[in-house]
Amino acid sequence: MSRRRGAAPAPAPQGNRIRTEAGKWIRMRMGVLCGVLGLGLGLVVSAGWDLMVVDGPHWRELAEKQRQRRLRVQPKRGIIYDRSGSALAVTVEVPSVSLDANELLRGVPAPQVPVVARDAANRIARALSIEPALVERKILAKRRWTWLHRQVTAEQVEAIRKLAAGEDGERIRGLIVEGEPRRFHPRRELAGPLLGFVAPDGKGKDGLEYALNRELEGHPDQLRGLRDRSGRLIFSEGIADDQALAGHDLHLTLDQGIQYTAERELANVARTFEASGGSVLVVDPNNGELLAMASWPGYNPNDYRKSSPEQRRNRAIVDAFEPGSTMKIFTVAAGLAAGVIQPTQKLYCEKGVMAVDNVVIRDTHPAEWLSLTQILAQSSNICSAKIGLALGGDALYESLRRFGFGERTGVELPGESSGTLRPRGRPWVQVETAAASFGQGISVTNLQMAMATAAIANGGELLEPVLIRKVTTASGEVVRQSARQVRRRVVSKRVAQQLAEMLVAVTEDGGTGIEADIDGYRVAGKTATAQKTDPRTGRYSLDDYVASFVGFVPAKNPVAVVVVTVDEPRVDYAGGAVAAPVFRRVAEMVLRYRGLTPAGTKPVNLEELARRPDPAHATHAALRAARGEAPPVQEVQQAGKPGKDQVRLPDFTGWPVRAALRQSVELGVRPEVSGTGLLARQEPPPGAIVDKGSAVKLIFRPAS
Amino acid sequence: MKMLRSLFAPGARVGAMDVVLAAVVVALIGFGLVMVYSASVVEATADFGNPHYFLQRHGVFALLALAVMFVASRFDYHKLRPLTYPVLGLVTLLMVLSVAGFGHTGGGAARWLRIGPIHVQPSEAAKVALVLWLGYSLDRKRERVKTFSIGMLPHLLMAGVLVLLCMKQPDFGGAAVLLFLTFAMLFVAGARLGYLLGALMLGALFATWAIRFTPYRWERMLAWSNMAEHRQDLAYQPFQSVMSFGSGEITGLGLGKGLQVLYLPESHTDFISAIIGEELGFIGILGLCAVYLVIVARGVRVALSAEDEYGSYVAFGLSVLFGVQALVNMSVAMAVLPTKGLTLPFVSYGGSSLLVSAAAMGILLNISRPRLGPAPLAAPYTAAPEASATVLTESTFGDGADPAEGARA
Repeated sequence: MSRRRGAAPAPAPQGNRIRTEAGKWIRMRMGVLCGVLGLGLGLVVSAGWDLMVVDGPHWRELAEKQRQRRLRVQPKRGIIYDRSGSALAVTVEVPSVSLDANELLRGVPAPQVPVVARDAANRIARALSIEPALVERKILAKRRWTWLHRQVTAEQVEAIRKLAAGEDGERIRGLIVEGEPRRFHPRRELAGPLLGFVAPDGKGKDGLEYALNRELEGHPDQLRGLRDRSGRLIFSEGIADDQALAGHDLHLTLDQGIQYTAERELANVARTFEASGGSVLVVDPNNGELLAMASWPGYNPNDYRKSSPEQRRNRAIVDAFEPGSTMKIFTVAAGLAAGVIQPTQKLYCEKGVMAVDNVVIRDTHPAEWLSLTQILAQSSNICSAKIGLALGGDALYESLRRFGFGERTGVELPGESSGTLRPRGRPWVQVETAAASFGQGISVTNLQMAMATAAIANGGELLEPVLIRKVTTASGEVVRQSARQVRRRVVSKRVAQQLAEMLVAVTEDGGTGIEADIDGYRVAGKTATAQKTDPRTGRYSLDDYVASFVGFVPAKNPVAVVVVTVDEPRVDYAGGAVAAPVFRRVAEMVLRYRGLTPAGTKPVNLEELARRPDPAHATHAALRAARGEAPPVQEVQQAGKPGKDQVRLPDFTGWPVRAALRQSVELGVRPEVSGTGLLARQEPPPGAIVDKGSAVKLIFRPAS
Repeated sequence: MKMLRSLFAPGARVGAMDVVLAAVVVALIGFGLVMVYSASVVEATADFGNPHYFLQRHGVFALLALAVMFVASRFDYHKLRPLTYPVLGLVTLLMVLSVAGFGHTGGGAARWLRIGPIHVQPSEAAKVALVLWLGYSLDRKRERVKTFSIGMLPHLLMAGVLVLLCMKQPDFGGAAVLLFLTFAMLFVAGARLGYLLGALMLGALFATWAIRFTPYRWERMLAWSNMAEHRQDLAYQPFQSVMSFGSGEITGLGLGKGLQVLYLPESHTDFISAIIGEELGFIGILGLCAVYLVIVARGVRVALSAEDEYGSYVAFGLSVLFGVQALVNMSVAMAVLPTKGLTLPFVSYGGSSLLVSAAAMGILLNISRPRLGPAPLAAPYTAAPEASATVLTESTFGDGADPAEGARA
């Protein structure tokens, strides 16, 4: 606008005075104000300089600290699978509600705090169905983080979400819903004592969960993450350690089908004989893999608080007991291996009574001369003692040690006991050697027994038990994998095979383990009925026994070693009566499961199988006959022969659905089925001659 | 003379507006759009599920603002004179309404008034209305400005009413700007320094009292003076804001890379300068200051060269308004000043602020247009004889007859 500078000093009061001489003061004052503004600008710029250039690094560091608050990440606990990939233990996220009281009360003037807190407390309490006073106290405590309610339902989560989003009245800030991990065992009691449980702090406290806690748990990491002002994680900066997010998964050798059968049979027998406890082990003798490890009484790890230590104890590895006669297997093996006896040799069994020093040893089946096979089949204490004494205490001890007794098997479970071969800590005296040869005065665990038996079954190699087939990361990469691990060769293959043959006799006629025999298979095994020491008297009790059975099937190329121990059975106590049936049922199941057909059995033709009279039918007919019921009167076209395209309906009464259907289709009539169970009525009635392709009503009722 | 006469034709009486000023402001609005997007994307995503929520709204407002600015720059500012009182009355009424409980609470203050779907912030408009009224009044009173009863008291009373209404909302920052504007314009118009200083002292006393005996203000004041201790509660916002500035250091983290938006409340409205500082650094802040310096300087230039005193006063008042608003906003964001509740003109998110600022800028741009010929005689406000005399004098001297200037128009 400089063009106006040259304008004549217009004396026009109506023009812009400011541009004139008279406006000089106004211009000056404007200048002064501009100066003030300039001063302000200078102030701002200098403040900016101080803040951003001089102190900048400090503030940047502070800001970084604030947003990159390191957060502890609790990785998701690994899953435990059985050998077929079924989950035995998983971690699920259960929502829990927590509160940031500072956030809730932020910006609330001090005098209003009680009012606001009470109002919020009432609304939160209503949403969570908890005590308002409790919530109010938590709000007024002004903690940055506190639990409001743990493990809430989906409805409660929704109610809280509404409060936090302001969809239900005024918005309440500071409410946080987060997933809290909870260990869940989908198969409940299955393998409970083996798996163990996880305490709320996320640490495994028993069983596998405890033994492999470090791997399952992962590495709780300090994770660098970006958080916004309400503390939500915006994104993380990546984690180098894959275990920071999730622990490793365990893939067990356990088979939940076999495990289930073992537990069921064990529970049955334990209840039937009013036993105080028991355990069943199923081991694959070829690679040492544990297929089942049952312990009774068990518990449900989901509900571990309701269980007693008694229930949680994994008896298969924790309990060391006097094995009794099952030990004779290894005495005989030791004798054969050392050459002190020959397979064909017969021993004199002293007619059931023999004195060793000041102790008299007795046999339940007194005999004179017995072969090794008979010694095992009739479980002669005297002859076993003779073999042990022939070996000598040290040699027998060494031999039993080689079978793994007296040392831990190294299974990855807590609390394994090693058993004791020399309870007094010194070499055996003669009586002790004699007792040890038939399993008295020493203690072993079920797992030791199983592994030692497996060594006989697989041709002489003592294997390390394998419980964990592999450990993988959450994404499936294999971290470690177990392999067949031979601890040592115990006996030669020849001795092992000879023993296996001898043990077959135990389950044959005349043996103590006849109950363990399985149709169509040759079963090798040994019973034991061990007296327990009464802790009060220190002598053998007359009431308390440990009944056990160890064995493997088939005797040649065995697929499973099964060890059954029943502690303190009441009604009967003989190993052959109590434990052998459990062995049979479990072994049968394993054989079926493994798809092994019984030796020497012809395959059955399916059609023939279908033609066989249905037992239900027969029963029904028998019952009817017993009640004196006459067959219903048949009136419709009963006489005469069926024509070319006609058939005579048979009597389907009492047939199951499937058989009746199959038969009627074969006849060429069209069945119309209603109901379930056994056939109650048919239309037209039996004996009627109908056209092929005509409808026949078949009415079924559940068998009563 | 022929050319001169052609300029008498309707629509050709005025010259071009201040192109530099217009260009700078348009650029600033565009810059504001970018910064609003950068500062609001997190909140928009978190609260509205749409990262562009604020950007879209601000974009619409920016277009509207450009239109308003354009129209206002075409609207002869002289015609504003009869509108002075209606505008002032309306704004006062809106302020009263928002204080009286019709207000929509935002950030703890009843600063918003809801009219249908639109939220209006009357205190933004109050500043412009006050400037228009002061310009009008001071121009009319001329020499009598020096008197107390005519020159001082009415202006102080009117401003006082608006200031009180502002404080009641409570909008302490707005009140301070209104007071500053009043004193600035009275000072420029030639009010006696004694009166001004007296009033200033009274005002300072009042402000002290208002702060000291309003618990929340006093607490905020204490918190501000000891920020580090109150960083989690009362001084949370200024502390975070300072942290934003600081972490920008010299060159900034880069556009869109600022992370303080996660922490700084109102980062896209009142505290957008903090995000600018964080993302563009000290250099960006210097640039921003330079832009406001240009705006104020060009505005003052317009004031100095305005056709009449009314224009001068209004132009100066508006320039000071922009300048003070920007300065106070940045000072607050840097925690140099303790108050809050001021937008950064043309940059901050917010329709009211942007539209009012645009309208004010339009008026300023209209004042910047050189008057090349006599104003229309029939103009209602120039019915007074002295007005036409002015026109005549102007045309007699024929300043606008410069051929080059005419051609440019």
